[in-house]
Amino acid sequence: MIVAAILASYCVFAALVLPRLLRRATWADRAPRLAIAMWQAASISVIISALLSAFAVAVPASVVGHELAELFEACAALLGDGATLSTTSTRVGLAAAGLLVARVLYTGGAVLLGARRERRRHAEALALLGRHDGELGAVVVDYEECMAYCLPGRNGKAVITTGALRSLAPEHVAAVLAHEQAHLRGRHHLVLAGTEALLRAFPGVPLFVRAQAEIARLVELLADDVAARRHPRVHIAAALVRLATGRVPAFALGAGGQTALTRVRRMLNPEAPLARRERLAGRVAVTLLLAGPAILAAVPGVSAFLAHHCHSLLSL
Amino acid sequence: MVRRLGELESTIMDRMWATNAPASVRDVLEHLQRERTIAYTTVMTVMDKLHTKGLLKREPVGRAYVYETVSSKEAYTAEVMRDSLSRSGNRAATLVHFLERLTPEEANALDAALQVYPPKGRRS
Repeated sequence: MIVAAILASYCVFAALVLPRLLRRATWADRAPRLAIAMWQAASISVIISALLSAFAVAVPASVVGHELAELFEACAALLGDGATLSTTSTRVGLAAAGLLVARVLYTGGAVLLGARRERRRHAEALALLGRHDGELGAVVVDYEECMAYCLPGRNGKAVITTGALRSLAPEHVAAVLAHEQAHLRGRHHLVLAGTEALLRAFPGVPLFVRAQAEIARLVELLADDVAARRHPRVHIAAALVRLATGRVPAFALGAGGQTALTRVRRMLNPEAPLARRERLAGRVAVTLLLAGPAILAAVPGVSAFLAHHCHSLLSL
Repeated sequence: MVRRLGELESTIMDRMWATNAPASVRDVLEHLQRERTIAYTTVMTVMDKLHTKGLLKREPVGRAYVYETVSSKEAYTAEVMRDSLSRSGNRAATLVHFLERLTPEEANALDAALQVYPPKGRRS
């Protein structure tokens, strides 16, 4: 029961306080990939700790740890309609865990299916309106507004409008398309779908709200970095400026120009990437976030298990 | 086959948008037959599908339909872009970038940032 309480309080802490801590991380812009992993790990750790907390309520540690054979018995009892474990707390715990899993799976499926439907509709329209330009490796749409975007999925493609082609120099076009290809190859739409699903499953949870906004920003930085491996940073910056200061479509819902500013500055004045030690620290933090709740949940079981066996060893 | 039908849809729509005048299946067929052999029923099926999709409207004239585009290509493009891309609710669907509403100050700041680096200036 103590473990359940600790896990539950960690869950609340992570959901409310972690976003504030993570947001303050100034290194995020220097290592977007690691920062994305950190936000994902934090989000997943909230779900895992809630889930394990419910399990800890359902299954008393003494039962888990007493004997391995008894653990299987306990599982069998849980699966069947064994009387030994069908206490109220077991039922409540299992019901909570089941609801949690069902909710995440349901919204995850809804987000993925909805996105796929929208993409298919858009792809159909593109088939009528666009033409594939083999040289650019992108679909060109006759449209006066300056736009470049990508349509992810199995047959993912980068799309650019004639307006953008007119107002950008060829090397800038290449830089923009490299950015889009980086999104496609990195499957960034799945990363975004994940955060979207969690936010929809549990709307208003500060961690998920922040994670979605931050990850949406960070995938842009990441795609810039990937594009910068092949293209001069100044071209990416110039393309960004052209596209962002050009006539903005009235319907475009942007998060404000802050990200564009950050991106241009980053491209023009690249900061040193993280040192190896800092990277290592980041990876350890990600691992801890992911494994921490499970380790914590396992402690009473393992200690009960050890206590039992040490006891029998001592008594020999 | 699916791919060919898609191609045909696009060819027919291009023709309809280009002429910008009502046309029967027979009219479109005659135009298409200048470049390839194609059956009347194939064209009819595709035009019916385009009608179902809301791209063409039609009116019965005699024993056949006369088709017309619902909107110009430009208007349809604008509609598609607006529909699919403004939906910020589902970012997993299309990743739209470089689409940020900038205040004039931000735009100036961006331009100023770039001025320091003339295009042929320093390398990355």
